[in-house]
Formats: sequence, C-alpha cells, structure tokens
Amino acid sequence: MASRSLFALRVIPPLAVRQVAGALSIAVILLIWWWLTSGATPEARVISPSVFPSPTEVIAGFPGLVSERNLIGGIAASLNRVFLGFGLALLIGVPLGIVAGSYRIVGAAAQPISLFGRTIPVAALLPLSLQMFGIGELQKVMFIFMATAPFVFHDTARAIAGVHDRYVDTAQTLGAKPRQVMSKVLIALALPDIYACVRTMFGIAFGYIMLAEVVDAKAGLGFIMLQSQRRGMPEHLVGTLFVISALAFGIDALFKFFQRGLFPYRDDHA
Amino acid sequence: MREPPIGADTGATGASGATGATDGTDATGATGATVAGTTPVAPSASATPPVVKFDRVAKTYEGGNTAIRDVTFQVDDRPGQMEIVSILGPSGCGKSTVLRLIAGLSPQHPPTSGTVEVMGAPVSAPGADRGFVFQDYTSFDNRTVEDNIAFGLECQGMPQHQRRELTREWIKKVGLDVDRDAGKYPHELSGGMRQRVALARTLILKPRVILMDEPFGALDPKTRYAMQDQLVALAHEVQATVFLVTHSIEEAVYVGDRLFIFSNAPGTILRQMSTPHPERPARVMQREPSFLDIVFEVRDIVEGLEMSIKAGS
Repeated sequence: MASRSLFALRVIPPLAVRQVAGALSIAVILLIWWWLTSGATPEARVISPSVFPSPTEVIAGFPGLVSERNLIGGIAASLNRVFLGFGLALLIGVPLGIVAGSYRIVGAAAQPISLFGRTIPVAALLPLSLQMFGIGELQKVMFIFMATAPFVFHDTARAIAGVHDRYVDTAQTLGAKPRQVMSKVLIALALPDIYACVRTMFGIAFGYIMLAEVVDAKAGLGFIMLQSQRRGMPEHLVGTLFVISALAFGIDALFKFFQRGLFPYRDDHA
Repeated sequence: MREPPIGADTGATGASGATGATDGTDATGATGATVAGTTPVAPSASATPPVVKFDRVAKTYEGGNTAIRDVTFQVDDRPGQMEIVSILGPSGCGKSTVLRLIAGLSPQHPPTSGTVEVMGAPVSAPGADRGFVFQDYTSFDNRTVEDNIAFGLECQGMPQHQRRELTREWIKKVGLDVDRDAGKYPHELSGGMRQRVALARTLILKPRVILMDEPFGALDPKTRYAMQDQLVALAHEVQATVFLVTHSIEEAVYVGDRLFIFSNAPGTILRQMSTPHPERPARVMQREPSFLDIVFEVRDIVEGLEMSIKAGS
C-alpha cells in the first residue's frame, strides 16, 4: 500500500523519500555521464574527450580553472556587472513602478513602453547595447539594465496595484492621508512581493550576463567559458557551469535568508 | 414586544421628514463652502445637528445598476444615549452602500442624488471621525497587533511613547493580552482576535460614528456573543453611534437600539423599528422568551417583505 501510494496523483512523500529520490536522480545522471565518458583511450570512449569531459577530468581541471583561468576574478567581474546593471534597474524601476501602481493613469501611460521592453527577446537587446554603448564595461552593465528594468518596473507596479482595496479603505477611515496610504499601506504591503520579484530577477540577470560576456569581454564567467571552448579545454567549460549553478543557488539562498528576516509575517517563502 | 414597530416605508417620523426636506436644500447650497465636517449647517429644529442624516439618497452606478434609492433617515445626537442602528436585509440590497456613503468611500461616494450629512456637514471624504470595521480581516499583515492598533494615531503624528501607552490600554479593553498578543502578527491570530484588533484600531481614535459591515459574520457563535457584548460596552464608552450591518436577526435585535429593514435591489428602507436595549450579556438575553418573541416578529416581517417583493416582481 505504502509504496503504491507514493505514485498517487499529487501525493507529497515524506522528506526523506523526496531526498532519496533527488539523490537517486543525481546518481543516475552521474552514472550515465561516467559510462559515456569512460575508457582507457579516447577512442574507447562513447563520447570523445574533445567533445565532453569525464567527471574525473572536470574535478582534476578545477585547480587549473582557479589558478590559470582566474575563476575568482571572473566571478567578481560578472557579479560586479550584474550588481551595477541590476542595481540601476532597481533604482529606476522600483520607484517608477510604485508610482505607476499607485496612480493608475501613470500606469496606463507607461503600459506600452513596459510591454515593449518585456516582449523584446533579451538576445535581441545585445546588438542594440553594442550599438549604443560600445564593447566596454558600460555595454555589459547597460545590457543587464535594459534586460531587467522593464520587468522590475512591471512587477513592482503589479505588486502595488495588487494590494486589496479593503486595506486602502481601512486606512482612509483611520484617517490616513493619500501620502500615508501610499507609504504605510501600498508600499508596506507590496514590499514582500517586490522583494520576491527582485530575488527572481537577480537570478535571471546573473544568467543574462553570460550572454554579454561571450560576445566580447576581458573577464567574467562567460569569458572563461568562451576561452575554454576556444582553447579546447572542455573540463574548464563544464567546471565553470557547475560553479555558475552553485553560485546562483548560493545567491538565491542568501535572498531567501534575508526574506525570512525582513518579512517574518509572510509564511509563504519558497 | 415592549416597543412596537414605528414608522414605515421611507423612514422616520413626520416631523423629521419635514425638516429633512428643508435641510436638504440648505445643505445643497452650502456644499461648496463646507468641507470636512467642521462648519455645521444650522438645522431648523434641534440645537445640535443629527449625527447622520440621509435625505432621499440614491446611488446608481455607471453601468446603470441602482444600489439604493430614496433612502431617508436621521439619527439624532443625544449625548449619553448613543444609538446603535442595526441594518437587516437580503444580500445585495445596498446595506453596505449606506455604510460606505457615510464613510465617504468611493465608488459608492458620492451619491447620485440626495444628501448625506454627518454632524450637519455633507460627507466629502473618508476621515477618522467615521471608523469602519469590515467583515474580511483587514489587519495590516506587516504590522504587529500593537502597530495595527496604533495605525490611526501614527497617521495623526502622535509621538511614539504616547501612542504606545494608549495602544496598550486598548489592547486590554478589547480583551487581548498585552504581554502575549501585542507583538503578534495578524497571521498568528484567530478570526476573533483579528476582529478585536480591528475594533481597537477604530475605537482608539474615538470616532463619532462606527460603521460595521458584518464584522462578526465569520466568527463562531461563542466568540460572536463575546464580541457583541464587547461592542455594546465599548461603543457606549467612546460615545459613538454605531451602524451595524448584519445577516443575523438575533444580532440585529440584540445589539441594535434601532433596526432598519432594507428591501431588495434597489435597496430602500422598508421598515424602521426600535428594539430593546442590550441590558444583559448576549448569551443570556438572546435566550429569553421576550427577546425571542421580538426576533420571531422581525423574522416574520422580513419574510413577509421578501414574499411581497417576489410577488410584486
């Protein structure tokens, strides 16, 4: 009975079972990876080492990735660009979003621009950013800004507009003036949702930066991957992928940690 | 049965109806000059203006849907004898519209025709003199019990130490525990506790009028009795006139001193009657045969009205 009920629709298995299921899937993938890339000579392998490295090669290549390829410096360069570009997007997108969400007329006016910004494929912004800002640092920062600002604006406006009228009614009958309704009710109640948007968008921006860095860069994680590919060192390329994944997970965990501390009254932290 | 139903249809007595008509014109003339409730429009009869006065008020929305029509009533200012007015009626009969018009909340405010006056001045905007307690829990999620109750005082700019003292006093008054509950967030509270917070948050501002839209509708019977008693006691303490919209005839008869029975959409007052004053605790008094007689009488009236409406339409 018990084993069968695990496969019933929408049944949530115990934590231990879920963890075992996760570990099992990792093990299966590692096993397939190992099998596809094992063999005494390159010719004996199902997949050639020049196409995809074996797990041991990736681990063995790690010290070189840090020392020769300056992994730490690359991480710093990439994060710095994301912080600047996304920071600028927050600086402009959040206040504008608050105004647009509070005053529906402003929201209506901003709607077409926001829609335009959100529907353009992010890859299509790349040539434009190169055209406008050249190939230096500015272009990378502005690319992140262009790619994220419309979403930050839109999500903020939506979070503010999503605060139920009942709260506004209540505040007004408690004597709150429009300015107080905005600061003490609209912004205060929308803040957890705005934060959740920032958390998601930062993760996405961190992904976008690779795109800018493989086009033309002197440093950064995207640059490291491109160089590894060009120099025929797939173990460094795959190693960097794992680093990116771990970094993204770590950053999100950090956001989540602060989310719990900042908004103890919201128990829907995912 | 002690007090027979008085009046019929468009409310009140002949006398107040007459003053209503003359006041109506006065008020319309003064609308431009009078802003939020400080300049009383001199009434023709009594020394102080009525607390709330509706004169042939109608509200039709943009889509052509009429919520209320021809609502006329008057609640006089009688210091020491604050009235609680219960409003009964079928769903969608415009009971909430009446409350929101008094509060000055859009889109119900402004009325399509007629005048709504509070303390002699036309209602122009919401204000802390007319508190509102909603059925849905409207505690601000980001504020603790203490900070929720202090919200209005904070908006007035009262210094924090003063605010804190007064807030703690009110936490006790609505039956919450300062040490245990003051620091809790709304999601940690039961429905009854949330409504206590809402009540304290409104009453702490000493409003002249308290508007309550089915505030206890979602509570279990035991909590409901306790809240009814608390409401009666506290409303008298702050000397506020209460308008209570409810679906429960028992609650309407018990809590109210006066009862308005509304007809279906478009809503209008079909019947006004006085009901006995809540002299004993809710769970005691609401079991007494004399009380139940009145409840059955009201139930007969309400059902009779519903039947006649169905037959008429």
